[in-house]
This record gives sequence, C-alpha cells and structure tokens, in this order.
Amino acid sequence: MAEGHVKPAALEQALKVLRERVDERTAAFLNACVRCGLCADTCHVYLADQEPASTPAAKVERVASLFRRYHTLLGRLAPGLVGAETLTEEALQALAAAAFGRCTLCGRCALNCSVGLDPAAIIRFARTVLVAAGMVPNGIQANIEAARASGNTMSISQEDVRETIAWLEEDLRQTIGDPEVSLPVDREGARVLYALNPRELKFFPLSISAAGMIFHAAGESWTLTSTDFDITNYGFFAGDIEAQREIADRLIRRAEELGVQELVVAECGHGYRTLRWEAPDWLGRPLPFAVRSFVEVMAEYLGAGRLRLDPSKNPDPVTLHDPCNLVRHGGVIEEQRYLLRHAVTTFVEMTPNREDNYCCGGGGGLLAASEHTAKRIESGKVKAEQIRATGAKVVASPCHNCIDQLMDLNRHYTLGVEVRTLGEIVADALILPVPPSS
Amino acid sequence: MTLGSLVLVAALLVALAGFLAQRFSRRFPRVPAPIAPARGSAAAGVLYAFTKAFFPTAKESASLHLASYLAGIGYHLGIFTALAGLLASLLPVRVPTAANAAGAVLTAIGLVCGLGLLAKRTLDARLRGISVPDDFVANLLVDAALATGIAAYLDHALVPLFQVTGAVLLLYAPLGKLRHMLFLVTSRRWSGAYFGRRGVRPTPQGPGNPRG
Repeated sequence: MAEGHVKPAALEQALKVLRERVDERTAAFLNACVRCGLCADTCHVYLADQEPASTPAAKVERVASLFRRYHTLLGRLAPGLVGAETLTEEALQALAAAAFGRCTLCGRCALNCSVGLDPAAIIRFARTVLVAAGMVPNGIQANIEAARASGNTMSISQEDVRETIAWLEEDLRQTIGDPEVSLPVDREGARVLYALNPRELKFFPLSISAAGMIFHAAGESWTLTSTDFDITNYGFFAGDIEAQREIADRLIRRAEELGVQELVVAECGHGYRTLRWEAPDWLGRPLPFAVRSFVEVMAEYLGAGRLRLDPSKNPDPVTLHDPCNLVRHGGVIEEQRYLLRHAVTTFVEMTPNREDNYCCGGGGGLLAASEHTAKRIESGKVKAEQIRATGAKVVASPCHNCIDQLMDLNRHYTLGVEVRTLGEIVADALILPVPPSS
Repeated sequence: MTLGSLVLVAALLVALAGFLAQRFSRRFPRVPAPIAPARGSAAAGVLYAFTKAFFPTAKESASLHLASYLAGIGYHLGIFTALAGLLASLLPVRVPTAANAAGAVLTAIGLVCGLGLLAKRTLDARLRGISVPDDFVANLLVDAALATGIAAYLDHALVPLFQVTGAVLLLYAPLGKLRHMLFLVTSRRWSGAYFGRRGVRPTPQGPGNPRG
C-alpha cells in the first residue's frame, strides 16, 4: 500500500469515484444500514479478534459515513447529526484498514444481515475508491500488473508452461502405466478448455496431473492452453474495474480462439466466480461457451457413470472447507459433497457448512497482502477450530487460494491435517480404464 | 379538518415526496440486468427475502440475538399500529373502543421495545461505537410518537398532540436513518435476487440435495 501521505490528486480521484460511481444497488445498501450491530458474530474476523472495528457494521459505517457526506441532504447540512465524514487522507487510511485489512469479502454477513444489505458489496466499492487513491496493497497490485503484462500473475512464460506440462505428462504416463494418457496443450477444437491457477504450475503440479487422469478416465475431449491460462483475477480483489475486465477478457478470448464449447475453471473460488458470474457483465456480452467449475464437471462425470471410484483408496476421515466464492457467491454447494461421499471412506461435515461456512481467512486477496498477514492468520482461528472439531485427517477444498491459507493455518495452529484439492482426492479413488497395451 | 390534521397531511405529503424522490432518483447509475445464465431463480430469492428470511431461524443476526430480534419485531409492530392510528385520525369516523384498547396495548409494546433498544444502544459499548446522533434522535422521535399515540388511543382529546409528533416524525423520516423503511425493501430485493439467481438462497431443492 502506498506509504505516507496521499497526494492531493489521488484524494481528488478517490472523491470523484465516491461522487460518481456509487450505483443504485450500493446506494440502496448504504441507505439501509441501521447500525444494529447484529452482524458482528457472523464475521470470522470479529469472532477471532473481538475488536469492534472488525464488525461488518463498523466496516460498512466507514463507507456509509463518506456516502452520507456527499449523497444526502443532512450529510451536507448537518454532518455531525448523521455521522457524515469528509474524505480526507485520514479517512482514506481508515477505509483502507477496514476494506483490505479486516474484510475478505466472504459475504457471510450478507446472508445474515437483519436488514438484507450486502456488506461485501459495499466493501468492494470501498476498494474501488482506494484503487483511485492508489492505495491497493502492494502484493495485490503487483499481481495485477504481472497479469496485465504477461497474461498470468506469476509471469510464467509460454515455454515454461509447455515444459512443465510435458514433464507432468511423462510422469503421469509412467505413474498409471498408460502411454495413451495425455495432457493436451493448445488443441483447437477440443470440447473443453481446462484453465489453471498459476499456483498449480508453480507449486501444485500434481493437481494438474489429477485433472488429466480424471479427463482421461471420463474420455473427455479437452485441452490446456500455454498462454492466457490464468483463472485468477486480482483486479477483482482490488476492486479495479478496468483491470478485472481486462484480465478476464484475456482468458475468454483465448477460449474463443480455441473454439471450445466449455471453459472449465480449475479449483479456484474467485476464478470461478469471476468467469462464471461476473465477466459477462464486465464485458457487456454473453459468453459463447459454458463456464463450469471442475467440481461440477467431475460430479457430472460421476453421475453419468464416466468415472468409477473406490472410496477405500481414501481411508482417512475427510472434511470439506467451502470456498466463499464458489459456494456462497457461486452456488456450487452439493457437487463437492456428492464427490466426497463416493471418493472417501469417511466424510465429516464442518459446523456450520455449505453457504453458512466460515471463510478460511485468506480470501479477498489477503494472501497477497503481506502487510495483513498477522490479521489473516489470526482471523483463520475460527476455521482452525472448525477443522479441529471434525477430527478429520484430511481437509478438502476446491480452491487453491483457500488451500494456501489452510496450509498456513495447519502449521500455525498445529492441526496435523493434510490439505488437498477435490481433484487429487477423486484421482486417488479412480478406478482407471485398463490401458490398451495390457 | 382540524389544524392537527392539516399539519399531519402536509407532513405526510412531504415525507412521501421525499421518499419518492429517493426511490426514483437518477443520481446513482443503474445496474444493468445480469448477463450470465442463472443457476437458480432471482424471483424465488426475492420471495425468500421477504418471507422466510424474516424468520428468526433464517439468520444468525436473529437466532443468536433473539431478545434484540423480538424487541425489533415488537418495536415495528408498535410503529405500524401507531401509523394506522395516525392515518385513522384523518378519517371522519371514531375508532371503536375495543380497537382503541388493542391499539394502545400494541403501541405500548412498541414503546417498551423501542426504549429497550435505546438502552441497549446507550449501554453496549460495541453498539455505541458504531452509533451516530441520528440513531438516538430517530429512536426518540419514534418513541415520542408512540407515547403520544398511546395517549391518543386512550383519550381522543389528545389526538392533535399525536398528529403533531407524528408529523415531526414523518418530516424527519426521509432524511435520517428512518429512511431504511424504504431501503430495507430495495436492499432485500437486490440481495434476494443476487442469492436467488446464483442458487444459494432459498436452499436449492432436488433429489441430489439432502436438504431439499
């Protein structure tokens, strides 16, 4: 985040956004809050730190007080009466602390707000104001710039992608003893484009192998792409309207070039949400292909008998973390449960679960914002306690962002669990077709 | 028409104009209809938001704070009863005694609940921390209207006083936090449509869903 003083020009830009870019939905939410404070216990950040500033109502109030100053009659005439605040450098710093430091945009408060407003939508608007002021955390901004410059947040070159996939393909053939299995890249006319989170190429390549095994077992016509493969979108996390559109557009254009019928998003909550739900609105047009999560696709294969699973191959008790953007904001709720019930011997639900589940604490781009690491780990305490209460040995989560946070929580809170993607668990349970050579 | 009735009618018209101006304001850019294909139903989500979502079991804000939830219900019950009495005061008919008694009881319940919520806002440090003067002013204006409403239900001679406090409340309503009476509706419509369209709320039904 920009340190020190906010330049007058930046303040002016932020004010311009505050004056001109509040849409009718955000205005309705900001006008509706009655500051009842009953949302407090729904927020994992507040539950963990018990600081009043972490309640959703307090975070919303940071934005609402500015809104009232510039958009309501009493806010202009009697700001003290209605708690209206002028936009100053201090107000922006406080807004940044609330919007980036104390909120993961998980939306759990939105489901539980007594009035029915959506605090996460309000905080996203606050982030848009902060983009104009140049106050996006450095790590998030760096990812945006990398994605814009290279097509992916980790600046992985096309050559590196091809080499990694070739290596994985060779390894996969040896592992399952089937020379026919392949990890196709840039194959035009494939039915499915499977798009990746760059973390998979860098740190979790076995999740790509797992996907390859599953597509192979299901007999799917699919491909990877060596360029513009990135499903992550830090523009979305930042509230950077231009960047989020540009980043999503690159992958969508690539899918159009390849002529696929379906874009399957690897296990990434916000990647799914942005491409499935938000991108058509950003681009102002419907997409010429379907967008689904890999979780939905695996569940469909299983339901259609295209995958056969042996749950005894996963004997340890497994619990499931619901990524907020996939579940609460995405509506993919039961498919992962259907998969786990068939892929593992013992599946234990967390409490609460599904759309009521708590955020892991790493959402909203916080994993990339190193200045908020301590708060991120602290707010993950709620999730750590949920996991520990299940007694599970494995935590499944269909989101690489959540997985990174869950691994940090595993270390910090000494949970003694293994954290895995759904695809890895399903792949381990696969009863593979017998290779032609044998 | 009495002077009190005239004041009340004038205030009612001003409040209505204030709310209509905010409801149909072009100040804020419109949100275009979402383009991505729906997974659930926006209409079902909106219906849920205005029905089941009001039950205490639907939201933690209610289930974890049942006393506050019930106080809120009681407060609003009293407010709507008082509003009915206020409108009835403009009609050239006398309300039956039994109805007056019932009105007085319901409004009194509202007043007690309102004062209870005011006490909570004053005494609870967390709540006080997010409060602004408007929160107290709005509560007190409503409480004053409820108190005079009770008096008017019990003694018809006090109706003009009730009309004046009601008029002050109506004039303030579109300006401060009381405007949530309009924006609660629009907020629930927005969030209901959002979660409904995405198939999150109401809980999806179907053979594959153990909750269905």
